[in-house]
Amino acid sequence: MKKRIVITGLGTLNAIANNVPDFTRALQNGACGIGAIDLFDTTGFRSQTGGQIKNFIARDYIPEKFSMKRMSRADKLSLAATLEALHDAGLYPSPKELKEEIGIAIGGGAGGLLEAEEFYSDYLKNNGKDANFCKLSSLFCASSTDCNASTFGFSGPKITFMTACSAGATAIGYARDLIVNDQASIMIAGGVEPMCRLTYAAFNALKSVDPATCRPFDKNRAGLSLGEAAAIMVLESLDSALNRGAEIYGEILGYGITCDSFHMTAPDEQASGAVRCMQAALKDGCLHIEDIDYINAHGTATPVNDVTETKAIKEVFGKRAYSIPVSSTKSMHAHTLGASGALEGIVSVLALHHGFIPPTINHREADPLCDLDYVTAGSRKADLRAALSNSFAFGGNNTTLIFGRYSGRGAAHE
Amino acid sequence: MNDNRHIDNTQRVVVTGIGLVTPLGIGKDEFGRRLFTGETGIAEIKSFDTSKLSSHRGAEVTNFNPRDFISVKNLRRMDKISLMTAASARLALDDANFRITEANRDRVGIILGTSFGATDITVQFLTNLFNGGPANVNPMLVPNTVMNAAAGHTSIELGFRGVNTTVTHFAVSAENAIAYAAAEIRRGTVDFIFAGGADILSEFYYKSLTKFHVLSPQNKGRESCRPFDKDRNGMIVGEGCGIICLESLQSATARGHKPYCEIKGLGMGSSPTKPNAWPQNSDGIKLTFSRALKNADISINEVQAVFAAANGDKILDALEAEAYTAIFDSSGKNPFITSLKGAIGESFSSGGIKACAMALSMEKNILPPVAGLANPLKPLAFVTEKKKELEINNAALAGISFGGAYVYMTFSK
Repeated sequence: MKKRIVITGLGTLNAIANNVPDFTRALQNGACGIGAIDLFDTTGFRSQTGGQIKNFIARDYIPEKFSMKRMSRADKLSLAATLEALHDAGLYPSPKELKEEIGIAIGGGAGGLLEAEEFYSDYLKNNGKDANFCKLSSLFCASSTDCNASTFGFSGPKITFMTACSAGATAIGYARDLIVNDQASIMIAGGVEPMCRLTYAAFNALKSVDPATCRPFDKNRAGLSLGEAAAIMVLESLDSALNRGAEIYGEILGYGITCDSFHMTAPDEQASGAVRCMQAALKDGCLHIEDIDYINAHGTATPVNDVTETKAIKEVFGKRAYSIPVSSTKSMHAHTLGASGALEGIVSVLALHHGFIPPTINHREADPLCDLDYVTAGSRKADLRAALSNSFAFGGNNTTLIFGRYSGRGAAHE
Repeated sequence: MNDNRHIDNTQRVVVTGIGLVTPLGIGKDEFGRRLFTGETGIAEIKSFDTSKLSSHRGAEVTNFNPRDFISVKNLRRMDKISLMTAASARLALDDANFRITEANRDRVGIILGTSFGATDITVQFLTNLFNGGPANVNPMLVPNTVMNAAAGHTSIELGFRGVNTTVTHFAVSAENAIAYAAAEIRRGTVDFIFAGGADILSEFYYKSLTKFHVLSPQNKGRESCRPFDKDRNGMIVGEGCGIICLESLQSATARGHKPYCEIKGLGMGSSPTKPNAWPQNSDGIKLTFSRALKNADISINEVQAVFAAANGDKILDALEAEAYTAIFDSSGKNPFITSLKGAIGESFSSGGIKACAMALSMEKNILPPVAGLANPLKPLAFVTEKKKELEINNAALAGISFGGAYVYMTFSK
């Protein structure tokens, strides 16, 4: 019998909350974290707003005994979120005998680019004179994975994912498989994405950003809002969780990956990649369309994505599509790119665990082409069995995760 | 709700094709010929000026004409790393004698490892931004600033739509990718999958590496790459792409294609190490190697060859040699050790090229010599001077990264 993999710890910092309990309340209240940003100068760009993490002082989260030397903002954010998740899972400090069996899978994007950009800007100004190249030492995303492993002393598998906006979701899916395949007992899995100039400039240049605040599924939507986040889950087998007496938030039921093979930055308007991806996740979990009670949409609020995703959901779920609530929480915490799949995975798990459906905020006018239930009038209480979360990326990478509410040892089997 | 009619995870995974764009040549024939005769692709760097830098040599890909492999329609959208990746995948596909059709394209995928991605494009993009402000940004560059661009372009060029992921983890990027791809075949989500690694040399990236004092000649002396040599003085950076095709044994047999070898054992692990630093001892290497052997259910005496990670770095090579000295016993049946880095340089995702070389070695029963090795640092069975002919039934691929991450794999006949 296949191992069941459950979630026993959560940690996040994002535009609407700097910890999981606050995040749950913010999601229930429909908080908006998108506004002015001060990490860098936005003058001259199409938009000036974003979903920046508020009041992040790393030392408030990371104990003095842990060195933060040469760590980037991304490294610090992922470390803070991992600490919260480990605490939550009862794994901090981690028992010595478990450390060899704990691995880390993180999905990233910009990594230490925010700091590297400052270096490179000075480098250009000074024609390369007196440049301190050490500032590039935490540039690459794998650095966040390594910082986590070295800080906590883990010796399990380490891997970092770089599939743009689906990286965080892929990290969680693959981490599940590493436990199923006995390569690790416990996995720290998730994503981290800091805001940075390159990403901001890139999305602005493609005119994919809304100059105002993003409005997923709204008729007048004009693009996404960029954000940043760290989002980490602790995964382990059900047996391991029960043996440790850990609280179980939910379980990973299904995981699917496909690619569009269509265009590098635009989704296939036939939605084939997205359709096959949701179907692959359902098949992986041996689930039927009737089993899904909530969809956390990719829902970027670009004109094309929201129509395409709606079409894909209708193709996969048929008539049932109209009775499944679909929301884009990017309307609150913005699009956190490499972290988004993991952040929205946490949203899905919290929805299942606490019994609510988070809303799509900022939605004012219905789009006839987007005609599903987007939960636009605030969050709802609901008894949910399983939630599906979509992540679609540049490069045509699609990942779908399906999470289930944990309702006892035997429940998910028969 | 879960009726558990699940994946059986028992599919045997075989290597059925290899594709190479490397400093030693394009395609397996030229690569193999030069590798087994002990040639090196390391030379003075030609594509940019190194006169003001502390190192001048590299292993560059030369004589690569993307037009030989890639359609004109897609070619103009692709950057250097994407071109190398798509070309390698095309070569591997042809070598596997596999045809991607409308009927099977959703069951064909790719897992690519890249350590640093398109460093050339990132630098160009930021140079435009910082020199000219937001108005000077070129939207055409954007798609190639993401690390998953190469795999995305490859899927478009070859027309497959299954599992597609890009992984990175410094010097074990490609090994992680191959391990992941093998798991996908076992899981049954794809029938055919490309796996490997790609990285490129670019000017600013090379310059940065010289500032980190990891390139030969670290402590002066002759600038050269000498894996496992007493007198080694740092690595020489390379570039290139190596892609292998994986499928289930069942699938290869059904279409009458003889595989190179089977991927049998997989071990993953790490040492708690400061980012960018080397671990303090070789415990993590030993543990990971033993995990792979256990996973394959073979003993060290059944392994005839190790394709090492050693690249001429002072610490890495010593740690790796120390681990093998500890693992190997006194039976005299210990594996021969070879490293490709003296021939292809260190491209960090060179695990893809290493896997291709291992497949070729097992097919031909020849081990390539360690180019650059004259005075071994330990009395281990290194393949020195010239190639070694012997029956190779099991071989191990070593992936070791700074920051303390390891992936070991065993390939079997």
